[in-house]
Amino acid sequence: MTRAAAVVVLVGVAAVSTPSGQVPIVYDLLLKNGRVFDAAAGTTTRADVAIAGGKIARIAPDVPSHQARTTVDVSAYYVTPGLIDLHTYVNAQRVFRDGDPRAGWRGVNADHNALRNGVTTVVDAGSTGWRTFERFKTLVVDRSRVRVLAFLNVLGAGIDEGRSAADPKDIEVQPTVEMARRHADTIVGIRSPHVKGTGLLGIERTVAAAAAIGRAALVEHLDDEDFAWPQLLLERLRPGDIVTHAFGSTTPLLDSGAISQPFAAARQRGVLFDLGHGTKGFSFHVAAPAVRHGFLPDVISTAMDKESLLLPRANMMTTLSKLLNLGVPLEQLLQRVTARPSLVIGRPELGTLREGAVADIAVIEVQQGRFGFLDASRQRLNGTQQLQTALTIREGRVVWDSKGLSRADWTTAGPYTNWR
Amino acid sequence: MLALAACASFAAQAPEYDLLLKGGHVVDPANGVDGIHDVAISGTRVAAVARAITARARRVVDVQGHYVVPGLVDIHAHTYGYSGALFPDDTALPAGTTTVVDAGGPGWRNFEDYRDKIVRQSKTRVLAFINIVGLGMGGDESDVDDMDPKATADKIRQYPDLIVGIKNAHFGRPGWASVERTVEAGRLSNTPVILDNNILSWTGRDTRTKVLEKMRPGDLHTHVFNDRHVEVLDRRTRQIQPFMHEARRRGVLFDLGHGGGSFLWTVADRAMSEGFPPDIISTDLHASSIMTTHSDMPNCMSKMLLLGMPLKEVIERSTAAPARAIKRFPDLGTLGQAREADVAVLDVEDGVFAFYDAWEKKRLGTKRIVNVLTVRAGEVVYDRDGRAFDEWTSSGPKVSAR
Repeated sequence: MTRAAAVVVLVGVAAVSTPSGQVPIVYDLLLKNGRVFDAAAGTTTRADVAIAGGKIARIAPDVPSHQARTTVDVSAYYVTPGLIDLHTYVNAQRVFRDGDPRAGWRGVNADHNALRNGVTTVVDAGSTGWRTFERFKTLVVDRSRVRVLAFLNVLGAGIDEGRSAADPKDIEVQPTVEMARRHADTIVGIRSPHVKGTGLLGIERTVAAAAAIGRAALVEHLDDEDFAWPQLLLERLRPGDIVTHAFGSTTPLLDSGAISQPFAAARQRGVLFDLGHGTKGFSFHVAAPAVRHGFLPDVISTAMDKESLLLPRANMMTTLSKLLNLGVPLEQLLQRVTARPSLVIGRPELGTLREGAVADIAVIEVQQGRFGFLDASRQRLNGTQQLQTALTIREGRVVWDSKGLSRADWTTAGPYTNWR
Repeated sequence: MLALAACASFAAQAPEYDLLLKGGHVVDPANGVDGIHDVAISGTRVAAVARAITARARRVVDVQGHYVVPGLVDIHAHTYGYSGALFPDDTALPAGTTTVVDAGGPGWRNFEDYRDKIVRQSKTRVLAFINIVGLGMGGDESDVDDMDPKATADKIRQYPDLIVGIKNAHFGRPGWASVERTVEAGRLSNTPVILDNNILSWTGRDTRTKVLEKMRPGDLHTHVFNDRHVEVLDRRTRQIQPFMHEARRRGVLFDLGHGGGSFLWTVADRAMSEGFPPDIISTDLHASSIMTTHSDMPNCMSKMLLLGMPLKEVIERSTAAPARAIKRFPDLGTLGQAREADVAVLDVEDGVFAFYDAWEKKRLGTKRIVNVLTVRAGEVVYDRDGRAFDEWTSSGPKVSAR
């Protein structure tokens, strides 16, 4: 008899010999009968997802409910790997008593804005550089329930809102590389400066630092730079580097209604495009024709910050809903917030549901109705569908449950009290 | 004559108002408005609330089917001083909350830092109950030596437009020293105090003495449905404690202060059915409460509706009542003419919704209040459905001929 067979027999014996006659509980949580999204293949299949000890324990067509402490019927929803938001601003430390006063105001609370949107991993897009990263690590990365990763800004000070222009002297490759290596489990790439002042030098050093650590550069073309878009797309960036604000109103993605040649050629050579909604990264005038031409960003991200969360509602569910209503199929959207970004940041294990992986999961509802969405230029798109997160699971724990699917009713809890 | 004619023709062409919220059900309890009205706004101020306003406006927003109410006033939130603080804009404005009162984040020693960091950086109107402790929640809230009534009152007199009163909370030692010093600061500055304070027996503090002897009329006790903070129910008979009714008659106010730990269905259900609703609906919003109990203002209001409070009263206790408690009425909490135009447009949705208490126990309800549009000082700052803005068309933006 093999060892595995012996275990099976023993478990079976234990089951029948339990005094109460009950089968032992082996799973903490069972998501029953959802449309489970296979991010690598881009397809969905009906299946049960069982979670134990913070990991995905089993994905199978029929896992018995009595084996789980809590079973949730998710037959009306999609079950996907927890979403990855590759471009966010979550350095909200200035409200803390020990926060860095130079940290600026853009950053928003990571947990509040991510978890209710099915996002279990946010990547901060360069709020800090090598001079300021470690305080951000202590105050934000280590304190958040959502997984927080980061692109390190090539500017040593990162985003310092006291400044209106980047200081070329504060761009140093070596200390940037050293800091990125010291925190290789958090820093997934290098970000170009957010303010003008360094031009091509800023891009070159961003790419140089990224190359030194074997990671991607995330860059933005600021208006009136001293270099042209084709130079950036076709000469300076390597395959695997990322250009953000793909659908921005000032991004020359379209040329006479078609995808402009430099962008098509850049994609051909492996340069990646990030949506980066934010306050300037999503215009329906660019997005609608681009979608018609089949040009989708490789990665869909929110670039959410204090301002963009308000009128454009640049949260993840709303950002995806805008694209859904422009005609992008749901599976293509989900791939671009799971498998694709996981590869871009070198964390393939985060973008897929498989047995043994950490149980970061989003359960998503597609609502039908009449909805309106504003882009970054405050123009409205009328839509008929909207995505909402029903459940978010982070390391096996339900951290967001908008419908009470996993929670007990108060009448079953007895006469509980805070008095003790 | 010619000048007069020119004037008249100009008036006919130029929009009279900047923003017109059309066709909504206006509930403005302070002004006795409860019905279908239009709300016209000029600049940052309310210009008119009336049936069927026909004058032209730069921006007309159809809000039929929705409730139009004064911007919500949350007198208990945490925006500063500790790691659970939330910067107000992305939590308040989408919720229809246009005024947030920080409850004890700063004290007199660091008030200017708080003003620079939070008040001046927020679109939301941010006021404060300053902590009786000089360093606020950034200090040791049990440090009696740092509770200086005079210095606290001086700071309030220095910033009467920003500081509405004094907070005392999380005091971890026995006796009445913190309560007495806080009330003394309130007396010196002529402002209300807001208290939490555990009632664990070893502290020697009990609710009866506090609400009948220590607190003044107009002072607030928070966490009214947390039975570790307020002895609202007799634990044996499950009746409202007589001294609670007596305190209310004296003028002591009780706010909800929902937070992560201070709303229990078992307490709230009983207290509400026995006739002891909170005077003021407030959130105690902070980083963990917004995740575990989802308790922003519309969520707290929905829970009150679920427990039987009539909608109009729910709105009153989220607008005019809190404005009165912080002595900002009628500047805040109404849609009166010439008041600063802070407006929330609410939807009361029908369906099946889950609401959580501090123990994350759910209660299902069939109505949910959600905010769909927020106006702060005349500016549309949040618009869930984009109803205040033009529809995008593939023919391009409306621009003048090139």
